[in-house]
Amino acid sequence: MTTTAPVTVKRLPESCDHASRRFFLREIKEFVDTSHRARLIVDLSAVEQISSQSIDLLLECVGHVESGDGEVSVAGASPQTAVILELTQAASVLNMFPSVLEATNEYQLNDFDSRKQGYPRHRAA
Amino acid sequence: MEMGALIVTAGDDVSNAAQGLSSYAPSWPVLGKSVLERWMEMVRGLGVGRVSVVDRDPQEPNRVHTMFEWAKEGVEHILLIVLGSYAEIDLLDLVRFHSEGQRQVTRVFDQQGPLGISLLDRNCILTNRERAGQDGDLPSSRYDFLGYVVRLSSTVNYRRLVEDALQGRCGIQPKGFQIRERVWIDETAHVNAAAQIHAPCYIGPATKIKAGVAIRGCSSVEHDCEIDLGTTLDHTSVLPNTYVAPGLYFRESVVDGTRLEHLARGVAVDLGAAGLSARIGTPARRIPRSLKLARNSELPAPDAKAG
Repeated sequence: MTTTAPVTVKRLPESCDHASRRFFLREIKEFVDTSHRARLIVDLSAVEQISSQSIDLLLECVGHVESGDGEVSVAGASPQTAVILELTQAASVLNMFPSVLEATNEYQLNDFDSRKQGYPRHRAA
Repeated sequence: MEMGALIVTAGDDVSNAAQGLSSYAPSWPVLGKSVLERWMEMVRGLGVGRVSVVDRDPQEPNRVHTMFEWAKEGVEHILLIVLGSYAEIDLLDLVRFHSEGQRQVTRVFDQQGPLGISLLDRNCILTNRERAGQDGDLPSSRYDFLGYVVRLSSTVNYRRLVEDALQGRCGIQPKGFQIRERVWIDETAHVNAAAQIHAPCYIGPATKIKAGVAIRGCSSVEHDCEIDLGTTLDHTSVLPNTYVAPGLYFRESVVDGTRLEHLARGVAVDLGAAGLSARIGTPARRIPRSLKLARNSELPAPDAKAG
């Protein structure tokens, strides 16, 4: 029997003050600690143009999630945000999807392929 | 036979920028000189005695007024260039063609249509004062130009012109010193020895290129810019007085102060809010390195040019 890795969708905090950052990162850490190969989808559809503080936060997320052998995707980035992610090279450590739906579909497809090929991508229960 | 040349510019009309479209402005330098300056050089090369630059603004009667005054003063031919393209026209051949023709006006066309360049006779201006200033209003001969031309209507075309010049596909010679095959670096630029400079490229006066910067893919950095540590420019032009923050990766873009136009994605972004680029001032005075050394032999050794 195989299980799918947990997927969660989060939005970046609207404010990037110290308290909001700490709260957001604590949630991510809890998610990573209680999951195996956690998959985090960061929904950027409400962000017109990402700030440098938000990029730092996003990269901290990547650090936490990758330490648990997981992966981070961003979904719904505006064209402006996509440019900023490319400029800052954050895009090189993120999977990018046009929407949350496409990101989750991609994960489901990958899981299906893994099972079909007989080598489960994720830990067997 | 006296000749005058009137160059009509659109000023720095960046109205498109507000709509998020191309922000191209005629004042943007192309490897050290603006297209206007390059046109003026071409016109002066023809031996034209009078050259005047006026704004396209229809509220300003400068264009017609200047042509009429010149005609009254006995200028036989007036070359009217409405600045919308860079075209390597053999102006001498144009004058010869016009002289051999029957019409009082000759207009230059390429395969896409009129280029906004006309040669008018004095009599035509004196008898058609108002219509003479409107390109295309008078019966004219057609001069078909098949050489190099780029219409400067967008940032994409601006980059095309920069790349063509750096690749030697057109006659534009970058201003500055060619330190090796297709690499031009102005003598007042400072390029850190640990920067990677890949041909072809252009680095303009008083620009600082810091350690770890990589410049490649026909990129250009115009005067008074600073490219900070480790940033990569790939098929990118940086316009004058622009600071670019460290560790960034630019491709297929034009950066002007805080504004970036990403040509591959077709989007304009304000980098100022994120602190990724900034407009910086012009140094009070630029002295060519050779002059500096002549004036003060104890100046510290200049940064090595990257090889």
